[in-house]
Amino acid sequence: MSNSTLTRKQALAFAAPAFIAILPFFVACLYILRFSLSGEQGRIEGFSIDAYRNLMTPFFGRSVWLTLRLAFFATVIALMMAVPLAFLLTTLKRPVARRTLTVIILLPMILNLLVQAYGWILLLGPSGALNTVLRNLGIIDRPLFLLFNETGVLLGLIQTSLPLAVFPIVSAVRAISQEHLEAASSLGASNWRIFRDVTLPLLRPALLGAASICFAFNASAFAVPLLLGGRRVQMMGVAIRDMISPLFNWSGAAAAGMILIVMTLFLMIFSAWLVRLTTEKTKG
Amino acid sequence: MRVGLLPAQGGSYRWVMLTLATMGILISALPVAVVTLMSFSAAETSGFPPSEFSLRWYGEVARMFSNEDASSAQSVVDSTLTSLLVAVIVMMISTVVCVPLAYALARGERRIRAGMELLFTLPLVFPLVMLGIAFLLIAEGLAWELGIWRIIIPHIALVLPFVLRNCLSAMGGISVELEEAAISLGAPPLRAIWDIVVPLMKAGILAGLIFALIISFNEFTITFFMYTIDVSTLPIWMYSRTVSSLDPSTLALSVYIIAADVILILLVDKLIAGRANLF
Amino acid sequence: MSDTHLHIDGITKRFGDVTALDNIDLRVERGAFVCLLGPSGCGKTTLLRIIAGFEKASQGRMMLDGTDITNLAPHKRGFGMVFQSLALFPHMSVAQNIAYGLKLRKASKAEQRDRVEELLTLIELPQIADRPVSALSGGQRQRVAIARALAIRPQLFLLDEPLSALDAKLRDSMQIELRRLQQKFGVTTVLVTHDQTEAMMLADELVVLNDGHIQQAAPPSTVYQSPANPFVADFIGAANLMPATASAAGTLIVLGQDTGLPVPHHPGSTLRAAVRAENIQLHSVNGSGQGMAQVEFSRNLGPVTEWLVSAQGQEIRVRGVTGFGAAPQVGDQVNLALDAGRISVFTT
Repeated sequence: MSNSTLTRKQALAFAAPAFIAILPFFVACLYILRFSLSGEQGRIEGFSIDAYRNLMTPFFGRSVWLTLRLAFFATVIALMMAVPLAFLLTTLKRPVARRTLTVIILLPMILNLLVQAYGWILLLGPSGALNTVLRNLGIIDRPLFLLFNETGVLLGLIQTSLPLAVFPIVSAVRAISQEHLEAASSLGASNWRIFRDVTLPLLRPALLGAASICFAFNASAFAVPLLLGGRRVQMMGVAIRDMISPLFNWSGAAAAGMILIVMTLFLMIFSAWLVRLTTEKTKG
Repeated sequence: MRVGLLPAQGGSYRWVMLTLATMGILISALPVAVVTLMSFSAAETSGFPPSEFSLRWYGEVARMFSNEDASSAQSVVDSTLTSLLVAVIVMMISTVVCVPLAYALARGERRIRAGMELLFTLPLVFPLVMLGIAFLLIAEGLAWELGIWRIIIPHIALVLPFVLRNCLSAMGGISVELEEAAISLGAPPLRAIWDIVVPLMKAGILAGLIFALIISFNEFTITFFMYTIDVSTLPIWMYSRTVSSLDPSTLALSVYIIAADVILILLVDKLIAGRANLF
Repeated sequence: MSDTHLHIDGITKRFGDVTALDNIDLRVERGAFVCLLGPSGCGKTTLLRIIAGFEKASQGRMMLDGTDITNLAPHKRGFGMVFQSLALFPHMSVAQNIAYGLKLRKASKAEQRDRVEELLTLIELPQIADRPVSALSGGQRQRVAIARALAIRPQLFLLDEPLSALDAKLRDSMQIELRRLQQKFGVTTVLVTHDQTEAMMLADELVVLNDGHIQQAAPPSTVYQSPANPFVADFIGAANLMPATASAAGTLIVLGQDTGLPVPHHPGSTLRAAVRAENIQLHSVNGSGQGMAQVEFSRNLGPVTEWLVSAQGQEIRVRGVTGFGAAPQVGDQVNLALDAGRISVFTT
């Protein structure tokens, strides 16, 4: 049934400008794919999978492993904090408090990453806030090195991906009615039991969705490892950039990029599949 | 006893939940808080805690902007102006293309809509490094000079998911009967959309506009690959200036950016006032 | 004397494999108030939307004053329409809503103001012009929606279940109001409803639709007294449908009783008789005698009392004025007297 005041042709015309705007993105995707299969390192010519074969080195393997490990831990920790934050956001009654919390959580995702890197350097650097406080308290003698290693990158990843975890969970939490909780409570369930038996199962689809977006975002992070990890923490994003900038190995970078893309896409499809599986189960 | 997600008497449950939430807030807010605090330091170095407070670095920023050093290839004024110009163009183009698309999708078949939404969400999860490299390769391969558009075009792809999401949720509450009412009163279909649908979408459109502005203005990764001597943005300028050491005047500049972002986020939050989700 | 304003000529509408409207023919007289009545899914709303131009008919044409308007764009038809959701523009004030159609017709500011004032007076809400639509009560919104549609001096006035969202009391007063306005403007009106009381009260001509077909199109009293088929009999005022047959003398036999009503059917042919609850009278059987039926249930509805009696395995509904005539109790044996003049006979 036609629900629109537009004809099919008009609807297409309405959609056309947006397609033109996003077209470069898809061209770019295809371009990368084509480049990764190029026979030459610096331009597109012929076909070969050498670029992929050349990536099978311990160095690149370590980079992949590091990327997966950091993205995984950052995602898990972000989710652990996102659930209570979502509870807090939906529980807060006063608009001022709710708005303040929204800004605090959302800001790290969109604020200029440089500014946040400054913040972490001032906090965790050798003469930063944390080391100064600990030293003044006499807990440590020599400064802790928290930056330009995995700890710093992990913190940065958690911080920047937290909003991606919180907001999908907030909309799922809004959908949980007070009655669900009251019903469980009236049956004698304790707070932890309600959380485990009622709240978590209801949030599961949102949690999985949030986890996959967080993981994809973290795995493909570039600015955070570049600014907080230096050259020493070679996550894939940084490794890919190094292939280009000092080495001019364009096809290698493209191939590494394709591996990164396939990894994240695979993960997202897997989690979408998991969501469907679990929601069908709760329905049935 | 009242039951809730965060019950008032919750024993260990309440304690654990609040601790985790507090950690989340700290990890989100501390870096920004420290930057803000240190920007008021009177000292030359970034030692913590600041021994004295002053506004001297804010004055320094003002001087940086007023005493334009024409000889410097990458002045802060140029970068800021480019950043603003890029952000404004990105904001306008992305909104102008998303409003009609959101209309067509909201009124079209559900299956098409789901597919299109997915398609326009892809840039959100696509590794930015790859986008940066791909756009760089394409831009280098083109015969003509793109100028400022070498940054605008990738930014548009990047903000489309946010703008579209906002426009779609704005379309959500507008029933077809409203348009039909206008048509029955004599308005041609396009006029009905202009007179009825667009004004009712206004809050969502504005939210999308602001989102696009913030994201483009703060974007670092793609621009990091795309910038040239002539076309560079503020985040890139900040990066090039602080690659070795931190300069307190950069912190003061950061605080200006933080303040602008906070105000804009508050605006968006007010515009969509609990009706929709930010993501 | 007949002055056809709108002529619906063989309209058919298919959605995929489903035929929503099947070869509809209807003539609407100038100034008439026509109600399209039927159960949900009968095609009544589709027919209204085809008249308005929001749906395209698969077949057939529509003539307005002899001009073919089948393919005329909806915004060029100049029909005022009131929607189920009312569809008042939420970002405009009451006055802006009412003036919108005039603005599109490029009426001058003064003209718009005068017309808005005139209409607001007519709907007896002269003081609300500058209020936002959101500040209105249900009944006020209703009136504003009607005023907005009438402001453009429509050729046809179309209403899609406009009163269905109101509570019973308000709906009743709005029906009177609507009929009053329609007569004042003398505008040809088509209203869609599933509420038969509303249709009976408003319509000059009642069009009963079911399964995409017109079951009967006639003045309400005719539809009520002589339903064209069992569906109409059952749908309007819930008649009792009973198996019947014709006697050798050519009269109707219902429930084993000869009603004396002559019927033009062969003796013994299978018929159905429809009798309304108020056209049956109960007579108590004295003592322990056997009657035709037994009272299963009775309820007092205030001015009328309703009984459910069972006769020959059939459940029959009977209504009588409370306190008038026999008042049998549950379990009593009764005889039934059918008002022969009010029986409708069907062969199917």
